[in-house]
Amino acid sequence: MPLVNFGAIMNFAEEIETLDMAYYQAAAGNPACEVNKALFEQFAKDAGKNIQTVKRTRRENVTEMILEGIQNFTREPFQLNMEIKSADACHTCALGETIDTIKTLEERAERYYQAAADKMKALPEVARALKLMGKKRSAHLKMLDQLS
Amino acid sequence: MSLSVVNNYINGEFVQSDSAQFGDVWNPATGEKIATVPYGTKADVDRAVKAARDAYPEWRETPPLTRARYLFRLKDAFEENFEEIAETLTIEQGKVIDEARGEVRRMIENVEHATGVTTLMCGYTLEDIAKGIDCYGHRQPMGVFAAIVPYNFPGMVAWWFLPYALVTGNTFIVKPSEQVPMTQTKIFEIIDDIGFPEGVVNMVHGAKDVVNGLLDHPDIKGISFVGSTPTAQYIYKRCGETGKRVQALGGAKNIVAVMPDADLDQGLPSLVSSFYGCAGQRCLAGAVLAPVGDIADELKDKFVASAKQIKVGNGLDEQTAMGPLGNAGHKERVLGFIEKGIAEGADLVLDGRDCIVEDYPNGFFVGPTFFDKVTPDMSIAGEEIFGPVVSMVRAKDLDDVIDLVNTRRYANASCIYTSSGRAAREFKYRVNPSMVGINIGVAAPMSFFPFGGYGNSMFGDIKAHGQEIFQFFTDTKVVIERWF
Repeated sequence: MPLVNFGAIMNFAEEIETLDMAYYQAAAGNPACEVNKALFEQFAKDAGKNIQTVKRTRRENVTEMILEGIQNFTREPFQLNMEIKSADACHTCALGETIDTIKTLEERAERYYQAAADKMKALPEVARALKLMGKKRSAHLKMLDQLS
Repeated sequence: MSLSVVNNYINGEFVQSDSAQFGDVWNPATGEKIATVPYGTKADVDRAVKAARDAYPEWRETPPLTRARYLFRLKDAFEENFEEIAETLTIEQGKVIDEARGEVRRMIENVEHATGVTTLMCGYTLEDIAKGIDCYGHRQPMGVFAAIVPYNFPGMVAWWFLPYALVTGNTFIVKPSEQVPMTQTKIFEIIDDIGFPEGVVNMVHGAKDVVNGLLDHPDIKGISFVGSTPTAQYIYKRCGETGKRVQALGGAKNIVAVMPDADLDQGLPSLVSSFYGCAGQRCLAGAVLAPVGDIADELKDKFVASAKQIKVGNGLDEQTAMGPLGNAGHKERVLGFIEKGIAEGADLVLDGRDCIVEDYPNGFFVGPTFFDKVTPDMSIAGEEIFGPVVSMVRAKDLDDVIDLVNTRRYANASCIYTSSGRAAREFKYRVNPSMVGINIGVAAPMSFFPFGGYGNSMFGDIKAHGQEIFQFFTDTKVVIERWF
């Protein structure tokens, strides 16, 4: 599905953060992941903050002047087959599988934010917010690497 | 299913109109009736004016910073209800949700700008204008003001005026367009939660009777209006007769010049958006595309190819790039102009007349339309169509295109796409329209700059928002003082 305008890009970001937050909350509640409960709770909290950032960025930067169409940008490269693995299913996953899934989510989000920021060069404030969220995801990936 | 009826807001509460006459409010994407609006009466206006007049003395004495604090609260409430306002706006007006969000943003920006009252309302002084004599110019509020606003921006336009009137100590009445009363009603529900003193801000729904009631009422000090040129002229004349201040913003026929050295790759998205954004229903929309010299064919091919990609549909669908026209009557009017263009001999390159939108067979849709070989004397090059119709008039050189701009009946906005500073400078220096875009397709001044046109596009002296708006809503009282 094409991401044709500013609103579509920001909505997809919100969708990603909402899905990821649900997954992290489920992971934090999974007894098999007890050892990383605090970390996953932190990730869920970060996703919640990102949702607020996305909403605020959308509200504050959507003006007529920038409602130009976005070219050559679609959801497909950022859709994950694993999204069928819902947050509910995560309650019973093993720790290793959960961490692998979270790494995939983090990598996907980081990739999306970099690509979306490139498409939003005309709006530096938006590009900056997207890059910042991408940077937070990079930091998450480093934390996850330290687990293994 | 019974439809909801929108109510007036007078003296701090929602109240029913006296009227026995009602109109329908439509969702232009689905073609369904969604609400009923009362065509208010003179008695409704009288009640609103009385409430505003009674509230004025105490509001006037409220310190400016305290008045500004109401606006700070309002801004927060608008941010919290941002998506809800935008959705209501899309449902009743049809524009796509990003455009609706942009409109709500612009509305809030006016609230933000108005909070600068403690600087922007300051007067001025000069000591010793003669030996031992000092002079002061105080800006004082005047009483009750009112705004009559159009259907194409149901949220924003009232807020080009309202926050400035309130923050300078006046009281206010809004008359929303009877075609789109729900957005402003939603906004007034938020206002109701803020807790303004009763009567400070009021809303009366209706049509011509309410307009005339406001224009003729002796207790109203000034009128702000945005709409068509004939109505703007009518309001300007009638306000003159009744001794009111007036700012009446009218129609437009904006020309977008494209020079041979324009960077089309960079500029094309904003060019296309200028003409088709809000389905062409904005007074800053491009209407005449004027390529200069040999860029015309390349521009036409690229522009039309891009226009063909525009997805027309329900504005609530995030994939939609262009929504419907505001109402069935307006759709017929726009279709009439397309017929006229054909009859006058223009070349219809892209025809939006048979625009079918899946799932919305009853919506008021007209697809992107493009005419080539339009001459300056054709009606589609001169009259305001207010729809997604591009009239391409080829110009020989810069002088030719400036002449085209300056011979239109309207002078609201004009734009130029060029890589030449000299051409841009010459264009902005010589064209009549008051709002000029250089490599910008929609030259929309933000809240801290004035908005309004020239010639038949604006009647009155002081434009909407900007710093000047503080003059519109205040009288400068000059005090000359000497002490013995």
